[in-house]
Amino acid sequence: MSGARARLGSWWRLAQLPVLAIVLALVIAAAIIIVSSAFTGTGFFPLLPLFAYGALFAGAFASDIALNNTLVAAAPLMLGGLAIGLGFKAGLFNIGVAGQFLAGAFASAVVGAALAQQPVALAVTASLLAAGAAGAALAFIPGWLKAHTGAHEVVTTIMLNNATALLLAWAVTDLVRAPVFTFPRTGEIGNSALPVLLGRNLHLGVPLALITIFAVRWLLERTTLGFEIRTVGANPNAARYAGMPPLVIVPLTMALSGLLGGLAGGIQMLGVIGFYASGISASVGFDSIAVALLGRSDPIGILFAAILFGAFRAGAPLMQITTSVPIEIIDIIQALIILFLAANLIVRRVFRLRAPGLGIEGATTVTRTWGEQVRG
Amino acid sequence: MTGQERVAEKAARSSTSPALEMRGITKRFPGTLANDGIDLEIRPGEIHALLGENGAGKSTLMNILYGLLTPDSGEILMDGATVTIRDPADAIARGIGMVHQHFMLVPVLSVAENVMLGSEVMRGPVLLDVGEAAKRIRALAEQVGFTIDPGARVEQLSVGQQQRVEIVKALYRRARILVLDEPTAVLTPQETDEIFTVLRRLRTEGTSIVFISHKLDEVLRIADRITVIRRGKVVGELDPGATTEQECADLMVGRSVSLKVDRGVAHPGEPVLSVRGLVVRDDRGHETVRGVDLEIRSGEIVGIAGVAGNGQEELVEAITGLRKPSAGHVSLTGRDVTGAAPRAVRDRGVGYVPADRQRYGLVLGFPVDDNTVLTEYLNEPYAHGVVRDDRAIRKRAETLIVEFDIRAPGPDVRVSTLSGGNQQKVVVAREFGGDKLLILDQPTRGIDVGSTEFIHKRTVEQRDAGSAVLLVSADLDEVLELSDRVLVIHRGRIVGEFDAASAERDKIGLLMARGQAA
Amino acid sequence: MREGTLLMKRSVVLLALLALVVTACGSLPGLGSGLKIGMVTDIGQLEDKSFNEFSWKGVQDGARAVGGTATNIVTKDTADYKQNIQQFIDQKYDVIVTVGFLIGTDTLNAAKANPTVQFFGVDQFVADPAPANYQGLLFAENQAGYLAGIVAANITKSNKIGAVGGRSDVPPVVAYIAGYTAAAKAEKPNIQVLVNYTEDFNAPDKGEASAKTMIGQGADVIFQVAGLTGAGALRAACNAKVYGIGVDVDQYLSLPDAKACIITSAEKKLQIATAEAIKRFKDKGKQGGNFFNDAKNGGVAASEIRNLTPVPAGLQDKLNKALEDMKSGKLNPPTK
Repeated sequence: MSGARARLGSWWRLAQLPVLAIVLALVIAAAIIIVSSAFTGTGFFPLLPLFAYGALFAGAFASDIALNNTLVAAAPLMLGGLAIGLGFKAGLFNIGVAGQFLAGAFASAVVGAALAQQPVALAVTASLLAAGAAGAALAFIPGWLKAHTGAHEVVTTIMLNNATALLLAWAVTDLVRAPVFTFPRTGEIGNSALPVLLGRNLHLGVPLALITIFAVRWLLERTTLGFEIRTVGANPNAARYAGMPPLVIVPLTMALSGLLGGLAGGIQMLGVIGFYASGISASVGFDSIAVALLGRSDPIGILFAAILFGAFRAGAPLMQITTSVPIEIIDIIQALIILFLAANLIVRRVFRLRAPGLGIEGATTVTRTWGEQVRG
Repeated sequence: MTGQERVAEKAARSSTSPALEMRGITKRFPGTLANDGIDLEIRPGEIHALLGENGAGKSTLMNILYGLLTPDSGEILMDGATVTIRDPADAIARGIGMVHQHFMLVPVLSVAENVMLGSEVMRGPVLLDVGEAAKRIRALAEQVGFTIDPGARVEQLSVGQQQRVEIVKALYRRARILVLDEPTAVLTPQETDEIFTVLRRLRTEGTSIVFISHKLDEVLRIADRITVIRRGKVVGELDPGATTEQECADLMVGRSVSLKVDRGVAHPGEPVLSVRGLVVRDDRGHETVRGVDLEIRSGEIVGIAGVAGNGQEELVEAITGLRKPSAGHVSLTGRDVTGAAPRAVRDRGVGYVPADRQRYGLVLGFPVDDNTVLTEYLNEPYAHGVVRDDRAIRKRAETLIVEFDIRAPGPDVRVSTLSGGNQQKVVVAREFGGDKLLILDQPTRGIDVGSTEFIHKRTVEQRDAGSAVLLVSADLDEVLELSDRVLVIHRGRIVGEFDAASAERDKIGLLMARGQAA
Repeated sequence: MREGTLLMKRSVVLLALLALVVTACGSLPGLGSGLKIGMVTDIGQLEDKSFNEFSWKGVQDGARAVGGTATNIVTKDTADYKQNIQQFIDQKYDVIVTVGFLIGTDTLNAAKANPTVQFFGVDQFVADPAPANYQGLLFAENQAGYLAGIVAANITKSNKIGAVGGRSDVPPVVAYIAGYTAAAKAEKPNIQVLVNYTEDFNAPDKGEASAKTMIGQGADVIFQVAGLTGAGALRAACNAKVYGIGVDVDQYLSLPDAKACIITSAEKKLQIATAEAIKRFKDKGKQGGNFFNDAKNGGVAASEIRNLTPVPAGLQDKLNKALEDMKSGKLNPPTK
């Protein structure tokens, strides 16, 4: 086997399960589209999935506008996916990315509004730092609790998600409400908005997310801290034996994960939304879990998974406009992908794969860490 | 069994056709040829030993037989007909049973439930008929000559009992060919004898047994025929009645090996490790180390003999900082390290080979090179500041692979793909160095003669270079062979101390079992 | 591995086929001609029995009336507002309707950037200086509240009725309650109206506590003007087996939890509002500023009376009369 072929082969071995899960999900969603077409205005229309997927593809990739939309939608998912993926590497399931996203969005909105008149470089930098710091601080809490009391991070982060959303709703109505608007929201972010680099909406957050992908990869692969994180995740006993301090590494990893989650909120706020209000949704937080699972916690995998999910996001409106296939079909496709990854036996049976042990790492993280105590 | 009986039996059996035949089995993994045209013939009602070093290809061959791997070429015949074994379910259906080195039992389920798992007896469509299963299990156990409580929870059983559950599980599924992968690796001598009785009984009933081991004495005691495999090839077939341990070992390793540790007299120097009145509790809060005093000087090997579970594990964990003692003191070269963090202990010059390499010693999902720096990843030259030096790490791995003869295709393969013995060598290679104190907990468990010889030799070299060595082993022979002083531990207390020269095996055995010599 | 490469090849062929189809058909043909009207929903689903659903029904009615086509995009995330509006602009839509106040900023920006496209914002207040192509669709909450007050005064037995409000600094909330109170006093001068502002739109527990207090003081009708907080208030009313009155949309439909006790709702006729807006655009061209939907144009109403048999005699007449008077300008309920 030549070098290039071998590389392609090993790449395929890693990617085959996710790719086939996507294919299978698209096929099943197509069946759902066909069946449901019988009950809608279009009438029974077996070719509808081709049109729908065609429009989805066109809306996501077929023009520079579409491509920008995809990247803009993918950027927060990259950061969110990295947040979850980094946690998985350390054997932690940070479901709290949704809350950290909100905290980051809120912090950047508040700081951004305060610095709206300052020079762009200062305003943007400070707002993004605020986003990361808020996310990190929020995620540090469950990390500390896990290390020192054994409270499972899945439970504590879910709780904190709710607490955060409510706390921020209060803050935006009573603490930082901007006076000129008819509903409670933060002020205009002015110069704190991420500069648009390309086309109408490709903002600074996109290259920032891409750089972060490689930064996290570098952290995990090339630094001693990354080695510690991976060791704690792969075998906590061996980590303790080797003298690594899980009591430090677990909270630190959670904080880093939260930093990424907060940054995701920051770039979404400063690059797209522009103001914080209590109705702001945090779907990025949950989609990030899917992205991390699909990308198998690997930064490069997460890059591709985020672009895929971003493409779904970006292409869906055109699909709905031109074919009347509702946007919700995207939710179905995403859910099916995750289902097939989790139950990867189905994919293997359908495609007659033999290579075992290529399932998702996240699922084992969840089951394995449940009830396990960090020991120092 | 007398020699005559054995010959007669053999004659009777050779007339029948083989129960199982593997012909020209070849299996290639990236970088290695694990099986290279292996022929193996198992006759009905024989105990056939498969002898080979770690990584020789024994496990690969048996995994092929059990349907876990597909051979690249070659065929399998059962009762003269070619068969294809697609997966373990297929193997079980054909009457092949396998008892793995690491038991595949669910600890919280009862014996009966474990045995039934996968082949449940049902009462109606949804209810399990545990009672019926229990009856059959009891009958099966009696048939092969041991008692077992089908209602007992597996986690409450001793390792030897768990192994019997595994055997019953295979028989329950009507296994005609039973593969035992290193069945005695974790057993006490008494338990080994008991299992041998069971295996002989099974043989009489007509079951064929494939016995994988590298314990030469055991193989000679139990086997009817021995096939020796080296580096994926069959290198010889031996008759246990007409061979010696030395011959087996030489054939297995491919050169002349010394089964005796060759060492000079110890020259103990300054005390390195000193333990005073140490009390340690296990995870459940029971005091398992109950006031241990010991001292080890540089340049001596102190062995701790004892039946597994008498506090050895907790003692070692307390010394290395993995477990906080509830009373007493540990000091290293005069500095108190009681309750210090593992890293602090390590930094004072302690190398530690843990008993459970998969739980503590290795990260199985990591490549060999990462594992060779698992405990030194922070130090130069493996890291400069926070940045790791991949080249230095790789170089270290390559050096150790050569120096310790680790059979790995390369430094970047996952440790999980290596055989147990080679995994152990990775740990040993990493931990043996210029340390002041070397703690070896079961250093050669599950390891073949060649590697054992090597590890023993290195241990003595380490001693002669001035290290203090603490050896803990369930293998009394190993302790006696290697130690300059022997301490006997029983129920968390040191109950005897012997000089290597004056140690009496029987007396130590009694102390291990009862805590007193009479 | 061999299986792998084969599969890879197959997938490549499949992708190529898909790409072919994509280029062959940009969009579905034959989707009508005339005005292209797009609606971007608030976050949630289209069939929410609330703002999204009824605004959409109105958009469809409007499209039918003017011979145009209607399409919607369901918004799944706050960050998608901008892009969803932009999709319609890129697809050369003539009219874009957006739903909910959160999308207001993005609608305003889009209107400024695309002066040839008409924008309507349901529940959005357009502040001066307003672009000529963006109209907020607002409602006379005082009138809707007045109708609710008539119903409340006529069904109370204890002569005590309650209203649970959200924040007291949100004008529409105050207007609803002012109209409600005025109607009750006009119907029964000696009636007692208990009003409590919870200062929170998202706390069902506060709403429940507030309503419970009022019921404890003898109120037997609870009018909610407090979003999610109000849902809690209605739940308390149902639990105490007293009457509840909903707000904004027919909450008998949108709030199944409180189905058992909702008598009516002070309703904004969203369906009429969006349909009429589209017709206005067709007839008179660009629409700007704010448009108040009130009794005159059928923009407010009391929802169908439910859970009440028999309906008190004369109640419907009283409602109709009040509507007439508000239409003619004879009756002007207070807004504060």
